[in-house]
Amino acid sequence: MNPLPLSAANKPGLYLWGAALFSLMLILLVAAPTLAPQSFSFLEPLKVDTDPENMLSKDEPVRVFHNQMKKEFTLYDLIVVGVVDENDGNGVFNTETLADVYELTKFAETIRWTAGAGESAERKGVIAVDLIAPSTVDSIEQAGLGSVSFDWLMPAPPQTEAEALAVRDRAERIPTLNDTLVSGDGKALAIYIPITSKDVSFRVANQLRKKIVTFDGNAVYHITGLPIAQDQFGVEMFKQMAISAPLAMALIFALMWFFFRRLNLIVSPMIVAMVSVIGAMGLLVATGNTVHIMSSMIPIFVMPIAVLDAVHILSDFYDRYPSVQDRRKTLEHVMNELWRPMLFTTLTTCTGFASLAFTPIPPVQVFGVFVAIGVFFAWFFTVTLVPAYIMVMPEKAFSGFGMGAGGEASDHEATPLARFLHGVGDFAVGQSKLIVAGFLLALAIAGYGVTQIRINDNPVKWFHENHEIRVADRALNERFGGTYMAYLTLSSESEDALASVAGDAEKRLNALGTPQAQELSGEAQALRSSAESVDAFLAELSNKAESARDAAEADEDWYAWDDVLLALDAASQAEEVFKQPEMLAYIEKLQAHLASTGLVGKSNAVTDIVKTVHRDLFLGEEEAYRIPDTPEAVAQTLITYQNSHRPQDLFKLVTPDFKKTVLWLQLKSGDNVDMSAVIKSVDDFIVQNPPPVAVSHNWFGLTYINVAWQQKMVSGMAKAFLSSFVIVLILMTILFRSFAWGLLSMAPLTVTIGVIYGVIGLIGKDYDMPVAVLSSLSLGLAVDYAIHFNARSRELYRRIGNWRDTAKKAFGEPARAIFRNVIVIGVGFMPLLLAPLVPYQTVGVFISAILFLAGVATLLGLPALITIFKRVLFPERRA
Amino acid sequence: MFIRKLITTTAVAALSLSTAFAQDVQEIVNKASAAAYYQGEDGRAKVHMSIKDSQGRERTRDFVILRKDIDNVDNGEQRFYVFFERPADVNKTSFLVWKHAEADDDRWLYLPALDLVKRIAPSDERTSFVGSHFFYEDVSGRGPEEDNHVLEEETDDYYVVRSTPKDPSGVEFSSYKNWIHKATFIPVKTEYYDENAEAYRTYTALGVETIDDNPTVVKSSMADTRIGGVTEMVYSEVAYDTGLPEDIFSERYLRNPPRRELR
Repeated sequence: MNPLPLSAANKPGLYLWGAALFSLMLILLVAAPTLAPQSFSFLEPLKVDTDPENMLSKDEPVRVFHNQMKKEFTLYDLIVVGVVDENDGNGVFNTETLADVYELTKFAETIRWTAGAGESAERKGVIAVDLIAPSTVDSIEQAGLGSVSFDWLMPAPPQTEAEALAVRDRAERIPTLNDTLVSGDGKALAIYIPITSKDVSFRVANQLRKKIVTFDGNAVYHITGLPIAQDQFGVEMFKQMAISAPLAMALIFALMWFFFRRLNLIVSPMIVAMVSVIGAMGLLVATGNTVHIMSSMIPIFVMPIAVLDAVHILSDFYDRYPSVQDRRKTLEHVMNELWRPMLFTTLTTCTGFASLAFTPIPPVQVFGVFVAIGVFFAWFFTVTLVPAYIMVMPEKAFSGFGMGAGGEASDHEATPLARFLHGVGDFAVGQSKLIVAGFLLALAIAGYGVTQIRINDNPVKWFHENHEIRVADRALNERFGGTYMAYLTLSSESEDALASVAGDAEKRLNALGTPQAQELSGEAQALRSSAESVDAFLAELSNKAESARDAAEADEDWYAWDDVLLALDAASQAEEVFKQPEMLAYIEKLQAHLASTGLVGKSNAVTDIVKTVHRDLFLGEEEAYRIPDTPEAVAQTLITYQNSHRPQDLFKLVTPDFKKTVLWLQLKSGDNVDMSAVIKSVDDFIVQNPPPVAVSHNWFGLTYINVAWQQKMVSGMAKAFLSSFVIVLILMTILFRSFAWGLLSMAPLTVTIGVIYGVIGLIGKDYDMPVAVLSSLSLGLAVDYAIHFNARSRELYRRIGNWRDTAKKAFGEPARAIFRNVIVIGVGFMPLLLAPLVPYQTVGVFISAILFLAGVATLLGLPALITIFKRVLFPERRA
Repeated sequence: MFIRKLITTTAVAALSLSTAFAQDVQEIVNKASAAAYYQGEDGRAKVHMSIKDSQGRERTRDFVILRKDIDNVDNGEQRFYVFFERPADVNKTSFLVWKHAEADDDRWLYLPALDLVKRIAPSDERTSFVGSHFFYEDVSGRGPEEDNHVLEEETDDYYVVRSTPKDPSGVEFSSYKNWIHKATFIPVKTEYYDENAEAYRTYTALGVETIDDNPTVVKSSMADTRIGGVTEMVYSEVAYDTGLPEDIFSERYLRNPPRRELR
């Protein structure tokens, strides 16, 4: 026996108590700072992270830009309250519901609190000034006698039905509100509640719910928005960990009992699994990593893998014991036989998961590394605790134990399972060409399937179809422009600002035609080449003109210098690109293009504000709904807009220097394919329609971030997969000291992965985050069976000397161990189907499928291939 | 019986006391309003306005304010003319306000680039003044009769007056507090409180000079914590009683600004 299991067999108490102590220590290490953060501030408490943004590391340029733009345009994360009333012909636009909405808005504005104390005290909760609700936004409209009125859209709850409908009509006239605040069909409305940060959403939403419960009306309130979805996700995540993981454990336990019928013996793999999970998760938390959607899956991954090797040991032990009738001797035999395969399966599984550390997605890295650690723990505890456990059991506990113990003790090959597997073996050897042809055909079809794979993801779809988040998502996207926000920024790129400003200044001065203007125009020409910056250029000229104006005696002289100063100021404004009518017209065209894609429900831009105000300055007539002709007219339209209750809203669409603007896109779908299509469509548009002034465009917003991390994920996964494939091949070659055997060992996993991904392509299941992670996982798991089968076949061949008899033996105990493993682990993952989140279900289904396929590929494919290539694989011995 | 009598007496005493105060405090507020908005019979000033947002980004506006009190009555009828000079693209944009003591103000807007004179329907005056942190009402003055006033405190230099709106539906604050300088009656600080009694908006007089015998605020600021940032106004070339003709405060002059008066 190898020294490690030997030492465990000799000192079982030490190892068993050691494992108990190890678990207890890690539990304390996590529990202490989590339950008493004050007294254990030096330790890392349990931190939960449900933010999909964290799929990208904090310093990822896409994310840095996202946060920078959010700050620059003062945009916040939103809670959306959709209000729908199916009972009223006018939807929510009745006095009762609007009164409730009014009250809810007033209430929402007060949800604020102070967190922390003293210096670090922070205001948290709702950002009342940015709340978008009927009573908090302005309406511009005609007020008779040619006057224009700026007032709240709904200053007070309407008293009559007509007033209620008037609120709707007013909102529908304002493009920025139509399809955003009030639904396209004019029956529903949505309140947008900005919050200081995502982590307050739970508290805010709870208070809103409490308020909503007090309303008597028929209206239905859907509370949604990304922060809400994330909170919900955190809740479901723990449900998954609390329900699915123990259930998986129980199921594995039941299956093992079914196979081995010795309760006290099968406790040992459970202990191994438990200690390994505690070890991996404990270390994860204690090292300051967060429990994320990915890392929450660690227990459910580690558990079955941890049981895997123990099942091999027990299976072998179970088959051997009746003929040996001595636990220590049986153990020695089993451990000698399994030592290398177990070590190598562990190495390959670890490689598969550890390769995830090379993906550029931090949560995936953490997941990969800690599953690998868990797998290593599982190996260590399997080769120590299982022998130790067997040794502490009294010999008499094994009486009557083992396969065929009741009957033909010498040849325990009489059970249905044994007969079935022998049949499989005979078939595989006999029909080897047919089987290999079958697998090749399957691979060919799978190859086609892989080309059909659609890479797509949507975090909202991680919830089940009937989940309240999905229901709200559908309810709102059916009625409104779309709840998935993406932001497109355009920023001017002035190559030579000084030249253009100087040129503009000279032109304006010359146009004045006064001697004073001529004088300064001459100075401008001289200064043009020597000035250090636009500001310096203008400042110097302005100072000259100002002194001249102040010195002026005659009114005419004063006016002339005043005009010069005005011309200079006007020149300085030439750089304000997004006030220029031609640029705004371009944005208008871009918006029309976006609308024509069918993917963008609606876009809001500074153009919409300009056009709306312009229309209502001109009697509200539709032909005045346009961009005015001069930058001055645009500026004056905008200054009119700023005489409102919310002047700051303008700068959510354009920066105060008018050099950068942002278009808000409302998408009806958060699918990455749709967002990607929009991105491509915009790129094409800009190439085909060059803007009047050079501008660069860029994206931000969570819908875009999802695309960004998915792209990283896909390419990262491909690299991780290819590199671990190579490493596993090398490991196999070393293990078998033969390249041919190494290659052979890769065959089952190649078929497995090929077929799995082929099926994904063929059935149209999106290649999303969990599917991507599965590639590395399947690599690690699928090779396990091949290692066990090949290692033991070679071992048998060495003793027997011919393949036909070797195959017969191989389909005895080794095949049974593999078969039991496939069933125990494959079924063990099934409880994931009960998880409330789709990614977990996907993982459950596909792991079970992977294990089943890998089992089939190993038990049919390997003997078939060995039969065909036996001359290469078993070269004639020189003796 | 005795107890009831005691309560009645106390209540009557308290009531009469508060009425006495109320008269006093109304007078203080009236004087403050007059000091802030009605100095001289007319007045003019050039104003440089700097609007800094929560990110410290600055926008500026330069304008001239002309004012005339009708019949030189404090807290009475008034005419305002606000004429924008900078930024260049809003040059000549102007506002005309006829302020009425008892009714809603009349307001007109002139946008030269659109060649448009527009009357603004009477509505809420607590909206931003050209995108700054100041409201229209801060520029033209809030009527002293619109709120109930209580003298909360009297220090050596200041009357501290708490004002609560008579009609809370028309305003965003639940109350405001004014620090009125005892000698000049200039309000040097005003704080506005929200429904949680938290101060969110603060006016500060940053500089006061005596011009033509009138104590005059020459620099002031308005900060608003809800949206963040602050607007500063610096007054220059302040002059009183220049004999501004009343007829320039008419719709006709919006299109043809009195350049002479604006120099």
